[in-house]
Amino acid sequence: MSELPPIVPAEKKRRVIVGFVCERSIPIHDMLDAHKALTDDPETKIIILPCSGMVKPTQMELALANGADATFVCGCAMNDCHYRTGNIMIRERLEGQRNPKLRKSTDKRKVGMFFFTMKDKRPFLEALAQFKASTENL
Amino acid sequence: MYKKFLQLTKNLTVSLEKGLNFLTTQENNPLYFHGALPLYTFWFLIFSGIMLWMYYIPTLDRAWTSVNYITSLPVFLKDAHGQLLLKNGIPVVNAISPATGIPYGAVVRGIHRWGAAAMMITTILHMLRVYFTDRHRSWRWLPWVSGVMLLMFVLFVGITGYLLVWDARAYSLVVSTQAWLAAVPLIGQWLSTFFIGGDAIRDFTLTRFFFFHIGGATFIFWLIWMHFIRLNEPVVTPSRAVNFLTLGFILVAAGVYPAVNVTNELIAQHPVLAVDKAFIASDAPAQIGNLVAVIRYDAWYLFPYYLMEKVGVNWTWIILGFAAILLLVAPFYPKDRRDNIAEVIEAKCTGCTFCSLDCPFEAITMQERAPGSKFKLIAVVFAPRCSECGICVGACPFQAIELPNTHSKTIEADVLALLKTGAQ
Repeated sequence: MSELPPIVPAEKKRRVIVGFVCERSIPIHDMLDAHKALTDDPETKIIILPCSGMVKPTQMELALANGADATFVCGCAMNDCHYRTGNIMIRERLEGQRNPKLRKSTDKRKVGMFFFTMKDKRPFLEALAQFKASTENL
Repeated sequence: MYKKFLQLTKNLTVSLEKGLNFLTTQENNPLYFHGALPLYTFWFLIFSGIMLWMYYIPTLDRAWTSVNYITSLPVFLKDAHGQLLLKNGIPVVNAISPATGIPYGAVVRGIHRWGAAAMMITTILHMLRVYFTDRHRSWRWLPWVSGVMLLMFVLFVGITGYLLVWDARAYSLVVSTQAWLAAVPLIGQWLSTFFIGGDAIRDFTLTRFFFFHIGGATFIFWLIWMHFIRLNEPVVTPSRAVNFLTLGFILVAAGVYPAVNVTNELIAQHPVLAVDKAFIASDAPAQIGNLVAVIRYDAWYLFPYYLMEKVGVNWTWIILGFAAILLLVAPFYPKDRRDNIAEVIEAKCTGCTFCSLDCPFEAITMQERAPGSKFKLIAVVFAPRCSECGICVGACPFQAIELPNTHSKTIEADVLALLKTGAQ
């Protein structure tokens, strides 16, 4: 009787997370590799913007529609946006309280929001890991 | 070099605030309400000031007496037998009655006094915070310059508040102020005379100080309007927790150290009152010609007089003038490169007003289009006010407003490119 081939676990599917990050929140310029991925988490690709309030909900929908497993926005600490209201604007837009809003058909579980200061690299990475875990089986 | 200094101060400020976030959370960190706190404390001053106004008499012979009448019952405790006690445990001979004083008058005056200290402290904190985080330059020049003027007027109104008590210290301060004003070339003598309302101190002098105090406080409201005019949805009140914390601080301070008039005779009878005098109390009534040997300086409002005593009137002018000029020119240096100002794409703008409503610095106005146009309004960007933040871009559902160097199309192309490389 010939031996059965060893059971090899299927290779874990590589996920892609797209993050829109305000350049004045976490120290994002120091956290990226040459491919615009986080050095601490290569599955997470980053778009850097002047302010989180610049993110259009349609851009997050675009990422999800084109294969992103999840998407998030990261702005300055709440009540401390460098441009005063950017983080409040994007939070209200993603929560459906301000125009333009996310489409109703968008799976909001795959849309994350983080608000951190430039000294919050570690808390951001922890929050991101939690968010990724919460979206793993969606 | 200067920008590196600002970056360093920003790092230090954010580190300090991050530490506080552990205790308070982001939502209730008082340092994130540094702008709303001075306004919040100003309301305490307005309401307690109106209450004091009801009893204050601005004449030479009645000013100190009326203040004393307001505060002669610094009472809010009772012992086990119902005996009213001064806060230091000294029994009060006369029970509360309108004939002997105003119930809780000393506490209301204490709220006015401690509220004034809180306003100056929070104003300075606000200014330092804005400066240290580099939020005072370029398109923010008007809030900064009006803020510097607010600081000056808060100082002016605070000093005139000290004069209204008309105790021995107030008289000494008036004499010092006259000497300070008289040192101004050409118009010095006129300023000095204008300040006291004539060639000698008389009843009109206190009426004038009263006008300076109330008029100055009213002018502060106008300056606050100037301060906010270019800010969309300004934060005018702190979070509920920070509100209660501030309220608690002022009430406890006013309860533990209410503002009272303390004469040397009273201290001789009750030595414990010397502690009050050191903190907050006023002196014996003013007597024209009798200067106090040592002025008790208040750190927040009377520092110009301390400076005058140490370096003389001319150097005080030079130091304060130089400081004021530095503060007023601070927002104009160094200049930033401004090459990413929002641009409206006329053909796409529907006049929906979203960008105008969301712009944090009121840089976008809606103007009427030419008759016969498909849409009634069009957004117009006023470049000097634009911060290049892109919040208007996020607000526009029609891609009708863009930052030229951070175009939405480029962002979307970047998203697709990242997804393509990420999947490989």
